Amino acid sequence: MSLLSRTTPPSPRGGPPAGGTRLGRAVRTTAVLAATALTLAACGGGSDDAGAGDPTGGDGDVTIRFAWWGSDTRHRVTQQALDLFEEKNPGITVEADFTSWAGYFDKLNTAVAGGDTPDVITLEERFIAEYADNGVIADLEEVGLDLDGIEDDYVDLGRIGGTLYALPSGVNVHAYVVDPQIVADAGLEVPDDTTWTWDEFAGFVTAVADGTEDGVYGVQNFGFLDPILQIWLRQHEESLFTEDGGLGFDVDTVADWYAYLLELQRAGAMPDASKAEEVQAAGVEQSLVATNTGALSAFWSNQLPALTTSSGRELGLLRVPGEQEHSQPGMYLKASMNYAVSAKSDPARQEAAAKLIDFLVNDPDAGRLILSDRGLPVNADVLAAIEDELEPADRIGAEFLTDLRDELRPSPTVPPAGAGELPDIMLRLASEVFFERITPHEAAERFTTELGNAIS
Amino acid sequence: MSALNELSSLARRRGAATPTRKGDARAAALFLLPWFLGLALITAGPLVASAYLSFTDYNLLQAPSFVGLENFSRMLEDTRLHQSLAVTLVYVAVSVPLQLAAALGLALLLDRGMRGLAFYRSAFYLPSLMGGSVAIALLWRQVFGKEGLVNLVLGWFGIEGQGWVSHPDYALGTLILLQVWMFGAPMVIFLAGLRQIPDMYYEAASLDGASRVRQFASVTIPLLTPIIFFNLVLQVINSFQSFTQAYVVSGGTGGPADSTLFYTLYLYQEGFRNLNMGYASAMAWLLLAIIAGLTAVNFFASKYWVFYSD
Repeated sequence: MSLLSRTTPPSPRGGPPAGGTRLGRAVRTTAVLAATALTLAACGGGSDDAGAGDPTGGDGDVTIRFAWWGSDTRHRVTQQALDLFEEKNPGITVEADFTSWAGYFDKLNTAVAGGDTPDVITLEERFIAEYADNGVIADLEEVGLDLDGIEDDYVDLGRIGGTLYALPSGVNVHAYVVDPQIVADAGLEVPDDTTWTWDEFAGFVTAVADGTEDGVYGVQNFGFLDPILQIWLRQHEESLFTEDGGLGFDVDTVADWYAYLLELQRAGAMPDASKAEEVQAAGVEQSLVATNTGALSAFWSNQLPALTTSSGRELGLLRVPGEQEHSQPGMYLKASMNYAVSAKSDPARQEAAAKLIDFLVNDPDAGRLILSDRGLPVNADVLAAIEDELEPADRIGAEFLTDLRDELRPSPTVPPAGAGELPDIMLRLASEVFFERITPHEAAERFTTELGNAIS
Repeated sequence: MSALNELSSLARRRGAATPTRKGDARAAALFLLPWFLGLALITAGPLVASAYLSFTDYNLLQAPSFVGLENFSRMLEDTRLHQSLAVTLVYVAVSVPLQLAAALGLALLLDRGMRGLAFYRSAFYLPSLMGGSVAIALLWRQVFGKEGLVNLVLGWFGIEGQGWVSHPDYALGTLILLQVWMFGAPMVIFLAGLRQIPDMYYEAASLDGASRVRQFASVTIPLLTPIIFFNLVLQVINSFQSFTQAYVVSGGTGGPADSTLFYTLYLYQEGFRNLNMGYASAMAWLLLAIIAGLTAVNFFASKYWVFYSD
């Protein structure tokens, strides 16, 4: 009962002098309690239950969960495709589990840790090895998937040491999106991208920046992007990762890349560091070509339609420079997304999951709904079926890819586990270099150390 | 004075008169049960789990494996951890005093009993309800962007502003400002504290010829020290745990160049993005130790400056 009087809150209006004592004690008590509660609440943890829910609803009916990331457009289109799939496959119900890219892997990792792995998982290539190594995803050739309509080089994009863990939803290629109007404004012509060297590229983008008004640039800073670095390395017969999962590059090659970029920034061909940082964080719609403030931005080819819409102009695609400059070209095909099947699902659900992937990849009807939203279809029949329905911007992408296909060397192998940290490392070091807080060579050394730590 | 005392003595008499004290205890236990369940399941369970995980290598996808003190020894060499500690310490050391000063200043103004007090009190309190939200953090990013409101206003005076959020020298400053802006909660507590100071002290002081400033320094501040102390402890703990602002403003990266890499943000990145949940758990315990240590220091130091008027 004495507790009551001690913790009575202070009276709201001018209390007695003795109130100081009570208030003092109350304050002390509350502070101690608050300190304990607040700090402890911060330290959560995960449980390791592998409790899968009820897999079947009786009568051979199966419910599977399909997880993917993307925009609202993708969610709408995918839902239509899923409705069609359920119509064609009575007895299978598909639960949609989608979120934006930013939170996708945080959510997926947590779901897997909680024993709640989705049956069909969409993976970015940097996470395939992580999931395969830890036994989260199954061998696709064992769950029964029809691969006949897909060329081998596409199928191999999801292979690790002979085992097929993932199938591309579609493919694309990293390239420069060009705004021909800005090039014309600068009194220049779009150069021949089959032969241009990195020096010619630098000269071109600097000339664009010089020949246009203030606030219009030659190229958006691409020092944040690991695909362009990967191409740079491949042109030098190096690669970010070796086939056996180590680092596959020389520090000096990376240092040259940072030095090259820093030169472009100093020459005014790219925005200053602060602006570059802001543009990079703002995403596709705020990029230089999307806002008519730059001649070139590097993107995946399937982002061309979104960029075209934002810019309100007709945009094109250019090869990355230097493809003929060194001993070999560096550009490569990449799966835009990868479908994988949970190794933790029971056989009935795995079978249904394989059917769903088969439908999404091989069925022209699904292709007509999805079009190029998940990359250019890898099944030749599907591609032929939808070609006429593609938007003009998509068609530019499709033609660009077809032209390029024969020039390309085999794509890099699936990156090792831990490679998921690569984009964050790139972002961090690019900031350090472009704000000139460290030299290109220091950045290259830190890049090597940090990426090495991530994959070890 | 009498009201409280009477209430408690009334309660005491009643308590003595009740035949079954046991019944009371049982009822109390029953009413406390939900809280205890919450404590056990939602707080204590994960707490024990995270204590265990901090000694393991746990990548979320597979069962944890015991590695002893490896996570803790890794902390010594982890430069990003050191960076995140530095960022967080600067953030706390700058934002908490500024926030408390702002809160006290406004509480003093509002305490003079102006008209529409209730409105102002709510208006100033509002930011501390909203400030930790995603919406405000997004707004902040816009306002302090290269083409944001701040630079627009600076432009009227012919100053060409930076992209504040995207520059490593200024990004943390914008987050500190956001924290200071959430001064409403300590302000309300200060207001309540100011009301506690009896008028007779001020009367006596003014009879003795003390100026307003002198009254503030010799009456208000000493009698308010318990409240200042309370706010200080709470805000230090709160700001150590700030997360949403840095996460949203930097897009989850802690950038540019790790300049806004709050400790909690790095912990989150390690745990959920880089799949080092064991290390992240160890980091959580380090944070607990740091906060507990600082709070202990605070309590110890309070002997020398906090004045309880007995």
